[in-house]
Amino acid sequence: MKEGKKKKPETSIGESISALGAFFVYLITGLFLAVGFWVVRDKYSVDLISDPSLTLRLLWMIEFPIVVIIFSLFRSNPKKCSYFRAVGRSIVGLISGAIINALGAVSLGAPVGMQSLPKTVHWSFLMSVFTVVPATAVFGASWTNWHRVFASLKPTGNIEYMILIPAYGAIIGGWFGAWPMPLDWERPWQEWPICVCYGAIGGYIVGQLVSLSLMIFLRKHKNLKLA
Amino acid sequence: MTTAMTCTRLTIFTVAGIFLQIIGLSIFVFGFFPVKPTLSGISGSESYRDPLCDSSSNSNESELHSDKLRLHYQELSGIAMVSGAIGGFLDVAFNFNTQAFLEDNLLGQFFRIGWKMVMLGDETWLKLFPGLFMRHDGVSSFFVKDTVQVDRNVSRHLPDELNSDDWNFLILHYLGLDHVGHTGGRNSPLMAGKLKEMDDIVRTMHLIAVMDRNHDQGQTLLVVVSDHGMTDNGNHGGSSYEETDSLMLFIGLGSNFSDYGATINNVAFQVDLAPTLALLFGVPIPKNNVGVVVPGTLSSLGDYEQLRALELNSWQLLRLMQAQIPSSLFEGFSCNCFVDGICEGLDISECSGDKEKQLICLFRNAALLHHIWKSKKLTKSSGAVEDFSGALDAYNAFLKTASEWLASKTTEKPVFLLGLGLSAMLLSCIVCATLFLSLFKEVYHEPKDRVCSLSYRLNLEEVFIFALLLILVISMGSSSMVEEEHYIWHFMLSTFHLLILFKTAKLFDFSKGRNIVGDYKAVSIFLLLISGRLLRGWHQGGVNWTYLPDISKWLEQVGSGYVKWIQLISNFLVIGLGLFTLSRTGSKRKSVCVLALGFLTCGFLVLLHTGRYQDEMFGVSTDFGATVLVKVIYLLLFISAIGAALVLPWSMLNKDKSVLAEAGDCLYLIGSAYIICWCLLHLLLQQPINSGPILLLLIQILAISCLSSNDFQVNEWVEIAALYYMGMAGHFSLGNSNTLATIDVAGAFIGISSHSTILSGILMFMITYASPMLFLLSLVMYVGAKLRNQSHSTISTHRETSLGQILKLKLGFPCLVPLCINSILLTAYTVVLLLMRNHLFVWSVFSPKYLYVCATTLCTYIGVCIVAVTVTYAFFVTTFRRSNRTTRHDNS
Repeated sequence: MKEGKKKKPETSIGESISALGAFFVYLITGLFLAVGFWVVRDKYSVDLISDPSLTLRLLWMIEFPIVVIIFSLFRSNPKKCSYFRAVGRSIVGLISGAIINALGAVSLGAPVGMQSLPKTVHWSFLMSVFTVVPATAVFGASWTNWHRVFASLKPTGNIEYMILIPAYGAIIGGWFGAWPMPLDWERPWQEWPICVCYGAIGGYIVGQLVSLSLMIFLRKHKNLKLA
Repeated sequence: MTTAMTCTRLTIFTVAGIFLQIIGLSIFVFGFFPVKPTLSGISGSESYRDPLCDSSSNSNESELHSDKLRLHYQELSGIAMVSGAIGGFLDVAFNFNTQAFLEDNLLGQFFRIGWKMVMLGDETWLKLFPGLFMRHDGVSSFFVKDTVQVDRNVSRHLPDELNSDDWNFLILHYLGLDHVGHTGGRNSPLMAGKLKEMDDIVRTMHLIAVMDRNHDQGQTLLVVVSDHGMTDNGNHGGSSYEETDSLMLFIGLGSNFSDYGATINNVAFQVDLAPTLALLFGVPIPKNNVGVVVPGTLSSLGDYEQLRALELNSWQLLRLMQAQIPSSLFEGFSCNCFVDGICEGLDISECSGDKEKQLICLFRNAALLHHIWKSKKLTKSSGAVEDFSGALDAYNAFLKTASEWLASKTTEKPVFLLGLGLSAMLLSCIVCATLFLSLFKEVYHEPKDRVCSLSYRLNLEEVFIFALLLILVISMGSSSMVEEEHYIWHFMLSTFHLLILFKTAKLFDFSKGRNIVGDYKAVSIFLLLISGRLLRGWHQGGVNWTYLPDISKWLEQVGSGYVKWIQLISNFLVIGLGLFTLSRTGSKRKSVCVLALGFLTCGFLVLLHTGRYQDEMFGVSTDFGATVLVKVIYLLLFISAIGAALVLPWSMLNKDKSVLAEAGDCLYLIGSAYIICWCLLHLLLQQPINSGPILLLLIQILAISCLSSNDFQVNEWVEIAALYYMGMAGHFSLGNSNTLATIDVAGAFIGISSHSTILSGILMFMITYASPMLFLLSLVMYVGAKLRNQSHSTISTHRETSLGQILKLKLGFPCLVPLCINSILLTAYTVVLLLMRNHLFVWSVFSPKYLYVCATTLCTYIGVCIVAVTVTYAFFVTTFRRSNRTTRHDNS
């Protein structure tokens, strides 16, 4: 268990990743999220409140490549599946994940209509990047893995923690983020999908932290067991 | 609970709990909504006569007049300003079908004397006083973010209005200041500019008023009032000093105040505005006014008029007092004395004793002094000045005390009654919860009870059901959440469905491949989700977001043809689904066929009614044919439902099935008969646009029953709770909200030939509570389906158990869960209402909601009662027949 020395997660091959590696992955994804916000604010001089659909589009467009690049490295079964295939299938995953997320949001009450359509679409793309894309990059079409990780909640190994917990964090965060929407505070951020988006990003980050601490905790646990 | 509870004990405790709740609720309602004796009608010429004198001594009054009145409101929420009365909530409830303010009020009085009125500002005025304004430009007060346009909309008419001569009364309602407060608080950077703008408007109007006076065009009174203050954050609604402190400024009364300090420290109540304006303009004071004329406003008038105004105000308050004080106290009060001047026996006396006597004594003193002053004035004797000030003081003393007394009468709440009612409700809530928990323990820990109440691990859905309850209770504390309650129901319910979906996915076994059962489950859940979303989108309910598009608005916009189609489709599908559920039992008995035929006939008749009569929906009560048709439908539906419940248990005969299975079949049929009847009834009663939601609700019920019959891994009580919640969500998707304005009154007269309050009331209740009742009735079907399922698997285990035990296990949850949820919500909301009793919105938001909560309680009682009676009856009949048969069998 000395893999913690590896500083660049990109060099690790296959499924294994250390807590430190996960930390760097999170750092990079978080950094690119911040870069996305910075680009939106400084280059386009809008923000989530004034132009949600443009902001969300830029955010997922910036975040998506980096997530794909990183998580494709950890694809399961790297012998059979080339890197580019992992990238290719994560694009499929992006679209199908967006559809699932959009349907979920609509069933929970997101407005349907031409006005809110672009917002919903870009929001669901961003959610897809948070939730489905890493899993597609890693698992591909292996339904048993999907079922084991997402439905049965039985992840094994660090990379699966990295997929599972931030994804659920984003979903739960988004769910809680919807709470202020019906209140009559008359704040601009109460519009769909702004506060849901804040909630999702917040939940994603919290999920990352939780998974990180879980990884460290579990490793210690395992070490104790081994000893 | 050490021993298992028997069925009888459970029943007795439940009924006792319900009775306790009913008693507590009625005590609380009686205490919280005191029916204050208000006077109905409108003040007319009788207000110029002494209320104590029956004979009309016609003193034709030369009234005080000035020509124009400009009322400059910054914001209105208080009816108090125009009627002078403190709102009693039940008055609003009794006039629920209209938003108009029907009580005697100042604007109505002005209208009656032929004044032309113009209103610019918040459109609430137009809703409150429809038809009173000659010209108006209402602006929606909704866009709180907008601080500029709302005021510009008012001010743009100002030059025209000020130049024109045709109005007597101009109301300008500037909303901007309030909006500035809401968005930025008291220290908002916009505040200074907005106040300056207001100042400029007041200045403009004052200048014009002065010009008018100089040109001898009569006097103008400019009144600037605000209806509330604000906290530092700019909010209002509480009862703190900053929020309730408001302003009342009279400009142009003609008296030159040199002493500004006196005017600044002049404290009055909002209710004082109505009598002051009424007296200044010589209209009768609104009947239920409890305010008194603001001292100082009359000082421009002569002595005689001043005293006369005070006298009128006193008479009006005295009339109000007469409704509350026993008339015996007024005895010894001869009015002749004042008319004829023979009141030597009466003397000015020190007033003491209890409040009522004191009030009467004060009035007598004032009247006496007034009389003495008048007689002295006639005879031109000396000392008139002292008498004048004496009479003035006496009147003011009486008015002040009377006003306070009346105000306290309308707002005081008997603490003892409230506490008693609340504690009774709390107790019954605890009883219900204890019963539920004991049953819960018994059902889910059947083998030898360990101390495992804590070790029991709750599932995700169970936690969620509790969380929903908790969130509902918490959200009730916020007025905006009460207004937008449907969001919570729909959101939580969709989440619940998604959780079920998640659970189904979790249990999905890849090794087995795709089995049919799993697919059915997924399809049912998707049906639930889709229908839930459609139901949510059908009516954009609530208060704040009603302008958002929804399906019903869209359909009505597109044309009534589509609504017709939806009605037609719903009708056919409801009948089709009904026949499908009936056929699912697989029994081809005569009784079932008769039932199916009955539904077909009813459905056909409903269709006929829709096609022929519904276009002239509102003329229905006059059309004889339609009324007869509707009555026939009522009768048929009633016979189908009651007949099914009474006859079916006797007609089921199946030798190779167990008692439970037989009872299950029978209950399933009865339950489906109930819900189909109820749906058909509502296709008839509800607005045409609501036929879609009725169908969707039926689909939801069938989907849930399909789920629960397909080896659904969710506890029974969770399913029942979910059904209850779905009923509540459906309540909102039928267009209801927590305001009384959304109650469908038009439907309440369908099929009633003569006006009967009770019948219309029942119909109205049925229309409003269509969805919760539907889901409660579906519990009969649910119990039946459960029995059928279980009897397939566990026939042998229940062989030896007694009827009471079976009843308890099968009927316990369907009855206890709705009662428990309801009692928790009721008790919690009672506490909320008590806490919010001083909130600004207590009458407009919290009290209507409380009425709804009470009606939901009633609905739950009725529904649970029907379920309990039906299930018990079916069980008794089935076992009785079975035992009869076996004894006969043994004998032969």
